[in-house]
Amino acid sequence: MTSVVGWLLDLYADEREGVVLWWIAKDGQRLRLHQSFEVKFSASGSPDRLRAAWRWLKNQPIPVQLGRDQGRDLFIHDPVTLLTIQSSSPTDHHRLFSLFSKEFPDLDYYDADVELSIRHAAKYGTFPLACCSVDYNPDNMEIRNIEPLDSAWSLDPSPPPLRVMTLEPDLDPLHEIPENVVVSIEKKQYLFPLSAKRPLMINLQAVLRRYDPDILLTNWGDTWLLPLLLKISRETHLPLSLNRDTWRGILHKKDKSYFSYGQIVYKGEQLHLFGRCHLDMSNSFLLRDCGLDGVLETARVTTLPLQMTARTSPGTGISSMQTLVAIRNSILVPWHKQQAERLKTALDLLHDDQGGMIYQPITGVHTHVGEIDFVSMYPSIMVRCNISPETPAPTFLGSDYPPGLIPLTLKPLLEKRVEMKRALGKMAHWDPRYDRYSAASSAYKALLVTCFGYLGYRNARFGRIESHEAVTKWGREALLMAKETAEDMGYEVLHMYVDGLWIKKEGVSQPDQFAPLLDEISSRTGLPISLDGVYNWVAFLPSKRDPRIPVPNRYFGCFQDGSIKIRGVEARRRDTAPFIKETQLELLDLLSGCTSPEQIQQLLPNAENLVEKKALQLRKRQVPLDQLVVRQRISRDLSGYKSPPPAARALKQLNSVGKTKKPGQSIKFLFVNSKDGVFAWDLPYKASPEMISVIVYEKLLRRAANSILSPFIKNTLPLFDSPISRK
Amino acid sequence: MGGTISTISDEYREVLSSLARFRRALRRSDQLTFDKIWTDVSKHLAAAGYAANATPLETFLLCIALEQQNEIDHLQVQLEAINGPSSPLEEK
Repeated sequence: MTSVVGWLLDLYADEREGVVLWWIAKDGQRLRLHQSFEVKFSASGSPDRLRAAWRWLKNQPIPVQLGRDQGRDLFIHDPVTLLTIQSSSPTDHHRLFSLFSKEFPDLDYYDADVELSIRHAAKYGTFPLACCSVDYNPDNMEIRNIEPLDSAWSLDPSPPPLRVMTLEPDLDPLHEIPENVVVSIEKKQYLFPLSAKRPLMINLQAVLRRYDPDILLTNWGDTWLLPLLLKISRETHLPLSLNRDTWRGILHKKDKSYFSYGQIVYKGEQLHLFGRCHLDMSNSFLLRDCGLDGVLETARVTTLPLQMTARTSPGTGISSMQTLVAIRNSILVPWHKQQAERLKTALDLLHDDQGGMIYQPITGVHTHVGEIDFVSMYPSIMVRCNISPETPAPTFLGSDYPPGLIPLTLKPLLEKRVEMKRALGKMAHWDPRYDRYSAASSAYKALLVTCFGYLGYRNARFGRIESHEAVTKWGREALLMAKETAEDMGYEVLHMYVDGLWIKKEGVSQPDQFAPLLDEISSRTGLPISLDGVYNWVAFLPSKRDPRIPVPNRYFGCFQDGSIKIRGVEARRRDTAPFIKETQLELLDLLSGCTSPEQIQQLLPNAENLVEKKALQLRKRQVPLDQLVVRQRISRDLSGYKSPPPAARALKQLNSVGKTKKPGQSIKFLFVNSKDGVFAWDLPYKASPEMISVIVYEKLLRRAANSILSPFIKNTLPLFDSPISRK
Repeated sequence: MGGTISTISDEYREVLSSLARFRRALRRSDQLTFDKIWTDVSKHLAAAGYAANATPLETFLLCIALEQQNEIDHLQVQLEAINGPSSPLEEK
């Protein structure tokens, strides 16, 4: 027997060996070990059907152990009688369940489709990159025992010595034809021409062998680069060991478009490796938004494999966490939830079916304004009020019952995030932990927020609409309690938005002066609240359509530390051209030095000059074309548009040269003087500066400038005439 | 949310459109006043939504009364600034 201490890198099912686990040993070895792993699931139904199922299972060829048990379904009051079915390996389980569920579609199934990594985590306490002590037989590399030495909730776990190799084309393949593959590892960079296929394969294989990376970080790896490299490998008959596990092929997952939170989302094709993790920066929101640290930290808490964590939504992450807590607490995990919304009166529905409270702000410019926010308001309410499908609806901001599944899942995550945020507040930016804490904090925020959303999602295993409604209900109550507290203490409430308030009081302008109010709100609500910052000035903007109507989420302001916060204006929109965005940010940067609206008034001529200078650049066609590219998402197939918007017209141009895009994907284009009015950026031929529609871009520029400057202008006339009206 | 119940903004638009015939028949000058008072309602939509009244028009009418009282108070302050405080006798 040999013992090793190492970090768990990858885990997957294997036909012959049960589960394969890859470890990064402390001495630097990469170990492929395996372990037999039995998988159990259960079925419930009428006694007749369960007897028939028993007979069927006894007579089919896959070896199983059958039993009878009772279990706890969160949505059923009494214990459920179960037929338990245990397979000797995960692959047997998949085969068996697929056949069995087709044969007996009327039974209710539990623990049937639980991810292997979650089952393993429930049994052994493992998670991706967990540091463990492993005993194994060196003759056949079979694991005898795993003992975790690490917790997913520890703030500073011992970091694994990960070897990360970056592999990317030198150009965006959707826009231009790349010429080289760029390989970066350990501060070294290699450039391999794509045209020389044999040397490319030989060199790539050599660097893969030499550095043996744990993580292959790519750009367009899922959708372009790796499929191309594998094709070249097949054509040249030269090996390319992308997998560390040479016995395995590469797992391909098809692309798909789906509807989520009111918009169509596109998820590209995926290529998963075995024994080595392939993470594609172009096909992972988490990787793009929170970096590799965000992926690693999310994988640790969700227990999903790294390659899956990078490519799945936070919803899948939080569901996995709930499933793990359910298994650990002997709660059955339903395959398909059967729960329907309970009957309620129309008046109940009227009161309960509401979202967060969103006020209409007092428009205009305000000085010395404090912004205070409840810390992770909805997750805090779920934990404090013990909101879970199986617990009674709260009647106050608290609970007298033992914690339910959702609070049990959220509490450690919430506490870890609060701890990290608290540490970040005191930490210098050069601190080696700073980036990891920031990334983890952002990634955890997505998990926590999604947990609230999933409570109201009818397909979520542990969702229940009444629980979802209870969260927003107590959110509204907490916000109103905060408003009342602020008003009791002499503050004027300028605005409220779900979990935050903008308040001001004569003589209060320094952060520590807000402390008594924060303490009082925390004491009245029982929820943590913090000061986001004090604005030197903040401007709440009215509706573009009617200047008398306030808009809740269109504002910008300058904090006392000089930082700017903007919401709802062009610079925050994804479909704004970089040139317009840049101009708006430059204007804000100009204003950020001012501590009062009076100072801003004095700077208005400078701001106007800046805009005119930018307009001149446009008219002289000096703006680089890539700075004018607009990116918009298409929501349907081309045939679905009656009067196609600009993005659809650009897509039509792409289609004409054989390039396709699916609903949910973004289309890049320029506004030009032509019949279509647009020029698709990814066409094989280039646009020229002469084609650009100066009128359209100047209108966009002046509109963006107006959004920032209009609150400071005393007369109601627009600061700039649009070029169209000048004509 | 569940999306079963219209949001208060939807209710606001619905009530406004139900009054379209009434608005159309008003004189142009009254139409402008009509638009102004309904703009005032939009400032209190959060409170109207929280009230969750089964007949939102009632709440909207209260919003109008509220804004008018605010306007009266505001004018009163201005008037007092010009004329000095009004005596209790004058108030009657």
